[in-house]
Amino acid sequence: MRNTRAGAFVAMSTAITLSLTACSAGDPASEAEEVSTKDSITWMAMLHTATTPEADGVIETELEEYTGLGIEMQWVPDASKDEKINAALASDSLADLVSLTNITNTTVRQAMASGQFWDVEPYLADYPNLSKIPQDTLDSAKIDGTLYGVPYQKPIARYGVLVRQDWLDNLGLEVPHTIEDLTEVARAFSEDDPDGNGQDDTVGFYDRAESYLVGFRSLAGYFGAGQSFEVTDDGEVVPTFTTEPFMEAMEWYRGVHENGWMNEEFVTVQKQNQKDGIAQGKGGIVISGLFEAKNFYEAALAADPQTPMAWALVNDMTYDDVDRRVLTDTNGGMGGWLAVPRSQVTTEADLRVVLGFVDKLMDEEPFDLMTNGIEGVHYELDADGVVKMLDNTTWEQEVQPFSSSRPSELVKTFNTSSEYTNLANQLMAENAEYVVVNPAQSLTSKTYDAQWSTIQQQVNDAYNQYMMGQIEMADFEKVVDGLGSQGLDQIVAEFTESYEKANG
Amino acid sequence: MSSASTVPVTEVAEAGDVVTPRDGRPPNAPKNAFWKHRSLYLMILPGVAYFLVFKYLPMGGLVIAFQNYLPFLGFTGSEWVGLDHFVRLFTEDTFFVLLRNTLVISALLLLFAFPMPIVLALLLNEVRTRFFKKTVQTIVYLPHFMSWVIIVSIFYVMLSIDGGSINNLIVASGGEAIPFLTDPDWLRPMYVFQEIWRGTGWGTIVYLAAITAVDEQLYEAAELDGAGRLRQTWHITLPAIRPTIIVMLILSIGDIMELGFEHMFLVMNSLNREVAEIFDTYVYTAGIQNGQLGYAAAVGLFKGLVGLILVVLANRSAKKFGEEGVY
Repeated sequence: MRNTRAGAFVAMSTAITLSLTACSAGDPASEAEEVSTKDSITWMAMLHTATTPEADGVIETELEEYTGLGIEMQWVPDASKDEKINAALASDSLADLVSLTNITNTTVRQAMASGQFWDVEPYLADYPNLSKIPQDTLDSAKIDGTLYGVPYQKPIARYGVLVRQDWLDNLGLEVPHTIEDLTEVARAFSEDDPDGNGQDDTVGFYDRAESYLVGFRSLAGYFGAGQSFEVTDDGEVVPTFTTEPFMEAMEWYRGVHENGWMNEEFVTVQKQNQKDGIAQGKGGIVISGLFEAKNFYEAALAADPQTPMAWALVNDMTYDDVDRRVLTDTNGGMGGWLAVPRSQVTTEADLRVVLGFVDKLMDEEPFDLMTNGIEGVHYELDADGVVKMLDNTTWEQEVQPFSSSRPSELVKTFNTSSEYTNLANQLMAENAEYVVVNPAQSLTSKTYDAQWSTIQQQVNDAYNQYMMGQIEMADFEKVVDGLGSQGLDQIVAEFTESYEKANG
Repeated sequence: MSSASTVPVTEVAEAGDVVTPRDGRPPNAPKNAFWKHRSLYLMILPGVAYFLVFKYLPMGGLVIAFQNYLPFLGFTGSEWVGLDHFVRLFTEDTFFVLLRNTLVISALLLLFAFPMPIVLALLLNEVRTRFFKKTVQTIVYLPHFMSWVIIVSIFYVMLSIDGGSINNLIVASGGEAIPFLTDPDWLRPMYVFQEIWRGTGWGTIVYLAAITAVDEQLYEAAELDGAGRLRQTWHITLPAIRPTIIVMLILSIGDIMELGFEHMFLVMNSLNREVAEIFDTYVYTAGIQNGQLGYAAAVGLFKGLVGLILVVLANRSAKKFGEEGVY
């Protein structure tokens, strides 16, 4: 602890020093009409890979050529993005363009609300790609009705149910499309030895510690629960865990657990453990992103080249008489903001240069570059136009870091040599029609910003305790009731007021 | 000690009426002394600079414990809230849960983990085969160099209900699987056991060093008087390393509130949180996750103050019992 705290202090003192030295007066505000002399862009982006790509590497050079601007990337490891962004905000050392991908970061939200970043909405119409961003996406990216950055566009709902197709075949079962059938499949996977090895070593659902936030959240959606918050008939914005469908889903899922149709100690299972367990054939039903089927399959393949594993991807799970629906897992297709800090970009003319840069990145050519790389170097196309990666290591080193910084992932869908990827892309696109988003996302509540994590954690704990049989439904409701005085009532009131203001 | 001797000299110098320096040094002795020992001062400089820059200067940051601190407003722009954070800390129910969990685990550690290295060091001291002794020492040091992530992962693989080896054994021998990882009753024993497993070997170093300093003649004399191994240990070795034990105990007591974040954070989950949440993990939740940096700093400051008071008290009582203490 002593070390961690020392580290925090070092960071803090560095921040002080930086803020002292970086407190330059800033250029005097120029006229809006003035022509910008800006010919290069600094971009603070998140890095999802282990190593940073070379400065002035192939992709960066190609992008510079295409956009006509010099690019200087400032890579921030994704795991430490909150600290880095907080420190950069504190020390006024942001870049021209800043990727802000954690939309619930309190500091970021407060910085936005206090006007640290440009309101970009009035300018979007002037650009061919930016003007095409759907209004829904823009709305879900707003804070208090203002758009403080260009939203990252992602597939709006990527979740579904993955079921072991080979196990279904072994047992002579059909692919389930209703919760009732899914329950039966879970039972059969646990009790009827789907892998035929004569041992009782499989279960149906294979969930993990984040069940409440990830797998179960999606399942509850099929029962009719909303994404985080929903608006009641009398216009009140309430958290979804207080609603009837949510609790119904909880009762059902606990039944699954009690019967032993899912991994018993899921609360201790981390993401990688889950992936390993699935790859080892311990469980046959996963609620996750549809694109994960490919990753599970490849993990199994790496361990056993003869693996019989095959997946059925289900995106139309329904319950009882509830209409087909799916909850968004990407904040309504909004993966964060590409924000432009006022401290770095001081004139409107310069802002237009930065926005023009983002706009150009959404053209097909740069999208291709940031997704697959350079043809002949990173990938090749066969006669049918199917993308085949040449060398995965080079791609991971040179191209992959850029792929998560694509302003839009919806520019184009590539036909790839992996059938799971192709199928997942198609099913995720279908999801868009049935998506349910969080109505409170663009609303503001100071109490939400300050208290939500604590509240969320208590509900999460109560959910886990209920699932494991430590407490009963009445106790869960008591916990939820108790949250009222800890700020939940306040949040509901503030969101409801904000909702009325935005829609009334 | 040093301050006691320099004070009169400074006084004399200030008075300006130096006629006969008491120890026969010239009037400008302090300056000369400084110049004479300049290499010593030079050697201490990096250490002093280290503490100033990395330990004392950042303490200025503690002002945020009294602020509603927002990074982009900085220290100067953030709103001052006085003792609000402390009032909140002491009035919220969580405070007593945190205090209880922290103190119970610290007490268990003092009771069970603290004596372990002493026992092990005494045992090692009795080993006469040099090779065996060195090998055992190296092996028991090893866990210290593993990070908590690794240790907790190893225990996870062994203790899990879903195919953990220990539970497989229990079930195979006709018992019922025990939810070590999720049962609140098992958290404390597991935590203490892991601390012992990791720290005992490393902890012996200090005691072994202290034991080597014991005069061999004492043992020879005891042997002549007919004392066996056990008696020698009890009447010679243990009293000889008592000052070391006391110093280590004082340091441990100072750390009562400082259980460390990493270990607990890794073994904590929804089901055992009621007994697992301690100050260190709470600071993380409140400060880093909720962005309440000011409040988190207040919790940390409180923790530090209690630790300081405990060290002072422990040191005093040590001196009262005729021991040397740490300062």
